[in-house]
Amino acid sequence: MVLSDLGRKLNAALSSLNRVSIVDEKVLDTLLKEVCAALLESDVNVKLVSQLRQKVRIKVKAVFESGGEKAKEANKKNLIQKAVFDELVSLVDPGVEPYKPKKGYPNVIMAVGLQACGTLLPGNGKTTTCTKLAVHYQKRGYKASIVCADTFRAGAFDQTRQSATKAKVAYFGSYTETDPVAIAAQGVAKFKKEKFEVIIVDTSGRHKQESELFEEMIQIGHAVKPDMTVLILDASIGQSAEAQSRAFKESADFGAIIVTKMDGHAKGGGAISAVAATKTPIIFLGTGEHLTDLDRFSPQPFISKLLGLGDVQGLMEH
Amino acid sequence: LFARFTGSKVLSEDDLKPVLEGMKQHLMKKNVAKDIAEKVCEGVGESLVGRKVGGFQTTYATVRLALSNSITHILTPKTSTDLLFSIRAKLMSPLTSAQQRMPYSITFVGVNGVGKSTNLSKVCFWLIQNGFRVLIAACDTFRSGAVEQLRVHVRNLSMLSVGGAGDSEGRVELYERGYGKDAAGIAKEAIAYGRDNGFDVVLIDTAGRMQDNEPLMRALAKLVSVNNPDKILFVGEALVGNEAVDQLTKFDRALRDFSGAGTAVAKGRGIDGMLVTKWDTVDDKVGAALSMTYVTGQPIVFVGTGQTYTDLRQLRVANVVEAILSD
Ligand SMILES: Nc1nc2c(ncn2[C@@H]2O[C@H](COP(=O)(O)OP(=O)(O)OP(=O)(O)O)[C@@H](O)[C@H]2O)c(=O)[nH]1
Ligand SMILES: Nc1nc2c(ncn2[C@@H]2O[C@H](COP(=O)(O)OP(=O)(O)OP(=O)(O)O)[C@@H](O)[C@H]2O)c(=O)[nH]1
Ligand SMILES: [Mg+2]
Ligand SMILES: [Mg+2]
Repeated sequence: MVLSDLGRKLNAALSSLNRVSIVDEKVLDTLLKEVCAALLESDVNVKLVSQLRQKVRIKVKAVFESGGEKAKEANKKNLIQKAVFDELVSLVDPGVEPYKPKKGYPNVIMAVGLQACGTLLPGNGKTTTCTKLAVHYQKRGYKASIVCADTFRAGAFDQTRQSATKAKVAYFGSYTETDPVAIAAQGVAKFKKEKFEVIIVDTSGRHKQESELFEEMIQIGHAVKPDMTVLILDASIGQSAEAQSRAFKESADFGAIIVTKMDGHAKGGGAISAVAATKTPIIFLGTGEHLTDLDRFSPQPFISKLLGLGDVQGLMEH
Repeated sequence: LFARFTGSKVLSEDDLKPVLEGMKQHLMKKNVAKDIAEKVCEGVGESLVGRKVGGFQTTYATVRLALSNSITHILTPKTSTDLLFSIRAKLMSPLTSAQQRMPYSITFVGVNGVGKSTNLSKVCFWLIQNGFRVLIAACDTFRSGAVEQLRVHVRNLSMLSVGGAGDSEGRVELYERGYGKDAAGIAKEAIAYGRDNGFDVVLIDTAGRMQDNEPLMRALAKLVSVNNPDKILFVGEALVGNEAVDQLTKFDRALRDFSGAGTAVAKGRGIDGMLVTKWDTVDDKVGAALSMTYVTGQPIVFVGTGQTYTDLRQLRVANVVEAILSD
């Protein structure tokens, strides 16, 4: 399933350590080479991969040269494994707490696509994820709703209407209003008045070189004052993820990332690179086309599951 | 990249290694899948070992030229990409008195959200402009709003003028049976409807699906085997990285494996060509085009360059090569 190929390769590289009797620099280099190859095949940004290699090498060498207790053969293997593990975790862990919706308060969440230099990327799963999020919060006792502020894509409101109806979630949108800012403002005002606790605003996925579109995003932002802006990233994105999300970070704070389509074969390395580039936490993974296909994300368990390690603490401390 | 002056000498593996490694890294930065970048560079290396480089030619320049040639070769279509020609050929082929003229059918397949429906509509626009009557078959019976999305496109397209105002009226129609039904059956009905109502082309929209999802891949193969479309176009994003290889290999294989036996199609059918979308979003990181053609050996029939009906282009090989090699 998810990321299994990457996990298998990383795991194979790490456990190859157990087969050598003496751990020297050559062993370390071979291992790092394998780890890096696996990451590159998963679309992790080329620069990030070489940084990871550098960091692990520096960390490990420092201890090797110190000649102390930790430099003993038996400990060396653990040390290397832990260094790689930690660096992998830090790739997906920006060390920032995501926003937590509060009960009895109208939490406004705005979903946006990936953006590069004033542009947004279409088709990465925003609309689908909005409904999934609403279902998630609704199950946890929040009164949840969706506002469709996409007046651009053909059939956008029908899509929201049909999926929200299926999910039994309140929705708002219009077939006639062409101004997304007006719809967003109306929808949010209506749901606030009706004491909804989670109000999710779906935006259009448009790619355009002009800044006018980005202006529109900012205006929607002004109109609805989101408590959290969620960047939706497609797991299959390749080497452009890092540059694109960095540009986004420079022009707007998004607060949280959801990586979609993790049920596919894609290993999400591009998306992971986006996290590293923007210091923004991933909060969920989209794992299918159905309304409940949404998994919570947290860095340590994600990496240990990726490596097939089960209980991490166990492995790292024996 | 490093330019190294070598003087006149015979290239050895050792001379080539660092240069090729640099080229591989470069290709990967341009979003070429890792495997493909490796294979292409390997091929270039093999062709150059033992070659004499003379005078002022650097190893770097020699490798770069060979790489440029190799990429050009891979990207250059081996089969015709002239869709209009194929359509006309079919529509004008002689029939026996018992035969009825069948419309030319094109099926759009691919993973979720890549732009199948949008680019189908662009192809429809282009066909209308070229004088054809087009029927769109709504065979995504799963995703919310999929049918309405096509209905909006058909409404827009029938309002566009071709020569004079209102010219395209009656030139495009939607065939739909709502949601939840068997896509293969709807496609079949649509083709029959197209045949009986004088449509030249039937464009079949399908639901997005992940290449590892076997039940969904089987359903797609069924649609192909039941209807034996004239063209199966794989729609893929220029944004996709290493995934490109896996998507294409598995779509092609699943179609071949599952669409064979006991049907109208004697041997399983694979992908006939690609439509690469969201070209406008990647700047010069157009490596996916190389990965896709390398994997299938099939041509890129169109590239999608935006979100309006006119944002559809033919691939310009020279431009792609230049973008991939540029620093
Ligand atoms: N397999 C899979 N498909 C998904 C997932 N999330 C979304 N999709 C599919 O991806 C496609 C695009 O999703 P949308 O929600 O329409 O994407 P969007 O970002 O709203 O698109 P625009 O509004 O056009 O920008 C649809 O076919 C969804 O069913 C996921 O986690 N897994
Ligand atoms: N910038 C840009 N956007 C595109 C292009 N082609 C399609 N899109 C956008 O991508 C989004 C998804 O397009 P769809 O045509 O719905 O994709 P699909 O493959 O039919 O999606 P599913 O049926 O849900 O699998 C829409 O917002 C389109 O406008 C393109 O060439 N460039
Ligand atoms: Mg949407
Ligand atoms: Mg579609």
